[in-house]
Amino acid sequence: MQFELSNVDKVYTSSEEIKVFGAKGVSIKIAEADFLALVGPSGSGKTTILNLIAGLIIPTSGQLKHGGKEITSMSLEERTQHRLDYMGFVFQDYQLLPILTAEENIEFPLQLKGFSKKEIKERINWSLKQVGLENLGKRFPNQLSGGQQQRVSIARAIAGRPQLILADEPTANLDSKTAQEIIELFLKLNKEFKLTFVFSTHDQRLIDQVRTVLYVQDGQISESRVHNV
Amino acid sequence: MNGFLYLVKFSYRNLFRVPKRTLIMILSLSLGCGFIIWDLNFANSGSREIMKDFLSQYAGQYQITHLDYYNPKNKKEFNFYKTFSDDELVDKELIKLSTPRVNAPVFLSGSRKTLGVLLTGLMVEKEKRLSTLYKAITVGKFLDPNGNKEIILGKKLSQRLNVNIGDEVAAIGQAIDGSIANDLFKIVGLLDFGGGDLEESLAFTQLKSAQEFLSLPPMIYHQRVSFDMDSEALPILTKLGVSSWDELLPEIGISIKFIDRFTWIVSFIIVMVVSLGLSNTLMITFFEREHEFTSLNIIGAKTNWITASLMIEVFLMGTIALILGTSIGYAATSFFNSHPINLEIFTGGKPIIMGGITIAPHIRLYAVPKYFWQVPLMIYFFLTLTMIYPLIRVISRSKNAI
Repeated sequence: MQFELSNVDKVYTSSEEIKVFGAKGVSIKIAEADFLALVGPSGSGKTTILNLIAGLIIPTSGQLKHGGKEITSMSLEERTQHRLDYMGFVFQDYQLLPILTAEENIEFPLQLKGFSKKEIKERINWSLKQVGLENLGKRFPNQLSGGQQQRVSIARAIAGRPQLILADEPTANLDSKTAQEIIELFLKLNKEFKLTFVFSTHDQRLIDQVRTVLYVQDGQISESRVHNV
Repeated sequence: MNGFLYLVKFSYRNLFRVPKRTLIMILSLSLGCGFIIWDLNFANSGSREIMKDFLSQYAGQYQITHLDYYNPKNKKEFNFYKTFSDDELVDKELIKLSTPRVNAPVFLSGSRKTLGVLLTGLMVEKEKRLSTLYKAITVGKFLDPNGNKEIILGKKLSQRLNVNIGDEVAAIGQAIDGSIANDLFKIVGLLDFGGGDLEESLAFTQLKSAQEFLSLPPMIYHQRVSFDMDSEALPILTKLGVSSWDELLPEIGISIKFIDRFTWIVSFIIVMVVSLGLSNTLMITFFEREHEFTSLNIIGAKTNWITASLMIEVFLMGTIALILGTSIGYAATSFFNSHPINLEIFTGGKPIIMGGITIAPHIRLYAVPKYFWQVPLMIYFFLTLTMIYPLIRVISRSKNAI
């Protein structure tokens, strides 16, 4: 199912006179198994576009659809359910719950989705295997390195087999070697399981490895490039 | 069910996020709970002990009388023509537990004055076995069971009549048959009730002497007074009337209720103060996790789920605290059951007088079962109120945090 933003504006208004465009005339189509990077400097509007795709914020104008269904008309709770059903998230600072082990963190969205105990176990094992942390499931986040924590975060995002994985600066807190490993992991998951990835980055070293790159400047898509990777 | 257990596990683990803070909250709640339970038990046991002491001296736990002896609207008024015999008492066990009395309103004349008093005839041996009236004798002796026409007076009454041990006083009253009753009684003892009104208005003689004075045949009485202090339930009688001590002494019953209610009011205030402190701590605890709530919402946790997790967290903390608190309350009550509190430390060694009767200063605490669920329930209620504001604030803030 396709995610589609058509001519989307997001305006932040602090007073009658002061209006800031977080996104301006953004149109993106995200198809199954896409691997897409939003690239631009800090404050360019990458996160705003990710938030729009996720339905975390509502566009001021334009359309935001998933599989032909209008997301903007959904209530807050419906959009939360929509994210749970179709999306996985990877955060810059991992956002793992410190009180839960790696396995329990991965279990979190699966419990919300109402999977059976057996299915949850299977999915946890599968996702831990995909990120290469089969033996570290019982560890708490503070017992893991930054790269390992990000892998757990990815495992949590993919465990529910979502249609779309959104990642906001997933490598920003990692050293270049670990960042490379994370990108390779994304590519592997994209290739092997046809998982769709949209992530934001301003790390120039990673951009060459991404198939579709959208350059964001002042809330607008200034350029798009398709690489042969 | 699986999802709910996960929710509970999630909430439980959150208790260990900042262990010291959780420990302080649990301690403040449990100590508050323990203290309130102890305090209520203290007030209740204190009242009970004081009442037991007070009632065992004279008034008794309940009285059995003729159905029409007392005015049902005002039990201070009685009709002394209404008597009964033990034949009317079906439950013979009640005869063992009670002592018979005969009451005669009389004019008592000493060398200088004549005063109106209530002359009560007592079955001396039984009275000594059941009541502690004989302990109030400070001058002279208690009535001789084989004696006749002996009288003991309140100390104040003897002073007003200007009479002393060995003197004779004349009693004039009305006999049951309507004739004028009069007789001379010899003073054998003086009662000290601590200087109250009872000392001025009571006089006691042998039952037989009082019956003769009132022209009452033997085995006919006005009252049977029960001193079965451990039984609060009243016997159910069809032919005779039963009056409890709090019906006969309503002002004292009201005082006891007041003490109980006042203790509850103080408890409410304590819990409210603790709740305000808790509310502030909860607010800090929740606000610290605001960013996390936003992340949870992004990955699919709805507001209800987050709210439920916080509520369960607070209730889990409350449950741990209240289990600990009730245990503390029970332990403290048990300790003061084996080590009674000496009230004289609060009065500087002075005697404690209630309703004109000096009471024993030692309070032995007894655990009242109802307090062990009423107090935790009250704290749960306040705990619920405590978390409403922090919850509303944090949920509304995390919704707008993106």
